[in-house]
Amino acid sequence: MSTATTTSSTGTGTGSDPGARRARALDAARAVVASHPPTSTPRRAFLEACFDAGLAWVHFPEGLGGLGAEPGVQAAVDEILQGAGGPIPFWLNPMGYGMAAPTVLDHGSAELSERLLRPLYVCDELWCQLFSEPGAGSDLAGLATRAEKVGDEWVVSGQKVWTSSAHLARWALLLARTDPDQPKHRGLTYFVLDMHGPGVEVRPLRQMTGEAEFNEVHLTEARIPDSHRLGEVGEGWRVAMTTLMNERSAIGGGSSVRGSGSIGSALRLWRSRPDLHTPELRARLVELFARADAARLTGDRFRIEQGDRPAGAEGSIGKLTGAELNQEVYEFCLDVLGPDAALYSGYGPPDETDETDETGGPGGPGGEPVEDYGRLFLRSRANTIEGGTSEVLRNILGERLLGLPGDVRVDTGKPWREVPRG
Amino acid sequence: MEFTWTSEHRDLRVAVRRLMTTRAPVDRARALAADGVRHDTELWATMAEQLGLQALDVPEEHGGVGGSLVDVAVVLEEMGAVLHGGPFLSTAVLAVEVLRELAPVADAAGDLLGRIAEGGATVAVALAEDGRAWSPGTVRTTATGPTSDGAVRLTGTKQLVLDGADADLLLVLARTDAGARWCLVDGTADGVTRERQEGLDLTRPSATVRLADAPGQVLGDLDGVAVADRVRSVASVLLAAEQVGAAAEVVRRTAEHATTRRQFGRPVGSFQGVKHRLADMAVRVEMARSAAYWAAFQERGSADLELGALVARSYCSDALLQTAKDCIQLHGGIGFTWEHDAHLFLRRARLDATLLGDTRHARERLLAHTHPDLQGVS
Ligand SMILES: Cc1cc2nc3c(=O)[nH]c(=O)nc-3n(C[C@H](O)[C@H](O)[C@H](O)COP(=O)(O)OP(=O)(O)OC[C@H]3O[C@@H](n4cnc5c(N)ncnc54)[C@H](O)[C@@H]3O)c2cc1C
Repeated sequence: MSTATTTSSTGTGTGSDPGARRARALDAARAVVASHPPTSTPRRAFLEACFDAGLAWVHFPEGLGGLGAEPGVQAAVDEILQGAGGPIPFWLNPMGYGMAAPTVLDHGSAELSERLLRPLYVCDELWCQLFSEPGAGSDLAGLATRAEKVGDEWVVSGQKVWTSSAHLARWALLLARTDPDQPKHRGLTYFVLDMHGPGVEVRPLRQMTGEAEFNEVHLTEARIPDSHRLGEVGEGWRVAMTTLMNERSAIGGGSSVRGSGSIGSALRLWRSRPDLHTPELRARLVELFARADAARLTGDRFRIEQGDRPAGAEGSIGKLTGAELNQEVYEFCLDVLGPDAALYSGYGPPDETDETDETGGPGGPGGEPVEDYGRLFLRSRANTIEGGTSEVLRNILGERLLGLPGDVRVDTGKPWREVPRG
Repeated sequence: MEFTWTSEHRDLRVAVRRLMTTRAPVDRARALAADGVRHDTELWATMAEQLGLQALDVPEEHGGVGGSLVDVAVVLEEMGAVLHGGPFLSTAVLAVEVLRELAPVADAAGDLLGRIAEGGATVAVALAEDGRAWSPGTVRTTATGPTSDGAVRLTGTKQLVLDGADADLLLVLARTDAGARWCLVDGTADGVTRERQEGLDLTRPSATVRLADAPGQVLGDLDGVAVADRVRSVASVLLAAEQVGAAAEVVRRTAEHATTRRQFGRPVGSFQGVKHRLADMAVRVEMARSAAYWAAFQERGSADLELGALVARSYCSDALLQTAKDCIQLHGGIGFTWEHDAHLFLRRARLDATLLGDTRHARERLLAHTHPDLQGVS
């Protein structure tokens, strides 16, 4: 991956030194919290204030949600914003905030960034990721959706699957095949697709939790203007790697607040049920806490050490450990609850009117926040599949971090057309 | 001798497998759950009439077949493979085991065994109360005023009663002035409210049963806690056999998927990350099978049965749970869908872990049983 192109628009803004840029960002964050106290400001207004102050992605250029600061400064800014009760943008628009934004910034035109980034951040427009297909999951580069150039437009047909939030999204990151005669990695091109345009049909898929969070997306001669192409024709794989690395660090990076996330939910349960404490469970909780903290610190360290370099293979460490930790934490919660875990309501399709928060828990009988540990447990099983399976991440770490020899590939160099699939 | 399989075992397995895979495949369990139907009454009748399954665990003097524990384990293993959730476990295992204990001192218990053997009655065992799956010593439900003919009034709430919303009769463990006793309550009597629980396991219905001054009958003057303890041992072995059946099926299906699903131009089962995980799954199933069946081959009421039950309970439940999780992982996205059966096995595994006293509790008791000198090490 070429460092020169991927960093062209980041981390260079102001000409001042890093310390000054950091101080400026923190001042800006304090100012926003003072002028728009997140607990009393409508969410959209708060997010607008953050974007306009350059706090959305501090390493982005000014005017596009950033201040040209080092990426590592984001954690300190988030601590101020979220510490005052601000929302976690990643959870509001996960595909948008963590993946689409850096990809559009790095590989799209300035006009495209201007059009897309602000509505993305303030959640006027949600995003989804049209990568996986029935025949192409782990082997993403084997995908079959075709895009053909007709005049100044691309005409796209094919089927995508497991697309989270496609039913809510205005925009999609789309990876499609533009040249089937090239070996699989070389015939791909990357686009931004308007999900509201003709030829885009979204069909809900029910997950094992009962919810329909992901979808099948059928594309039938959907049209994309050439100005919505990200990167060069045939360069889609390289662009997708930016997205995937960012996805993995976004998922894996986690929150930088100690004891937040899934381990925080386990701690709340532990506090609320002293009747269920045993020495064995206590030992497990402490072990999980230490691991969660080491994972959290690893995320912080990589963010800071990364500086303004692009996300690398280390991002996969956060995704791998975060996913497995989440699963063990929620397993622990069910073990704490014992038979009570079976008594939690609603493991079928959820009541659509439920206000569910980031952790997916409906309120308790007295309105108190009760986390639905059964559902969280079930949902966590996807963590080691979505965004790249743990098997694939281990392959990546072995090969890219440790330099181990790659797997013997049966499809190397062969035109995509000639490789058996299914 | 342990692990000596007879032709009767084999014939029984073949017959039950044929019945379950044709009349009660996993799809059927899924459909029943979706429709809120408790169970397939025609299948229940066929089980009794053609195979005599409900009579298998009932002693001959009470109209049963007097089969061995291994026979019953074979039946449950086959039921586990299709995630069968009908009243067999609650009626033909749990209730029969309680009634076998009570029959020597209560004629009503013997009579009821006869009715179960014919496939004529379904009986649910109501022991667990809030937060405690199988803790007979802490039961708070009361049974007051036994008259000379044993009539009592019961008050209390029972949880996780398998088939509790629909069974004809309830066997309730309750406190009397004389100590804990097993009482028989008509499911439709005044003062009995039953509510199906919507829980993790979609294919095995359970219920909350509320008793408010409900009429019942004490079944004999036997220490109810001691009875519950003996029942738990046998039931643990049989539940473990059911788990073996489920886990083996999960491995079979996962191996099949890994053979047919291609990525990178080759079957995913050819990647060592997948192959090794599957091999571990298979090893786990074989270990679980050994633990469950060694116990099933022991003499009822013996110390070896108790030991075997604790080993089986300590191992098989976790084995199924891990296998079900691996199954989802190796299926990728498709394994996370509602339509795929993988989650039904995971849900069953999670609920099983809390039945009959959870597995952690079983491990503590195993330590006490085998190495009392090592207890209390911290
Ligand atoms: C909840 C959820 C949300 C998702 N959201 C999105 C989304 O928004 N957009 C999107 O594009 N996709 C999404 N996905 C899809 C996800 O990225 C794929 O499911 C994932 O990449 C795996 O692909 P697959 O499902 O085809 O499994 P397969 O690739 O068929 O994998 C099956 C098994 O084989 C293993 N395997 C495959 N190749 C190898 C190898 N080389 N070495 C070792 N093991 C291997 C896998 O690890 C897995 O265990 C989502 C998935 C889930 C579960």
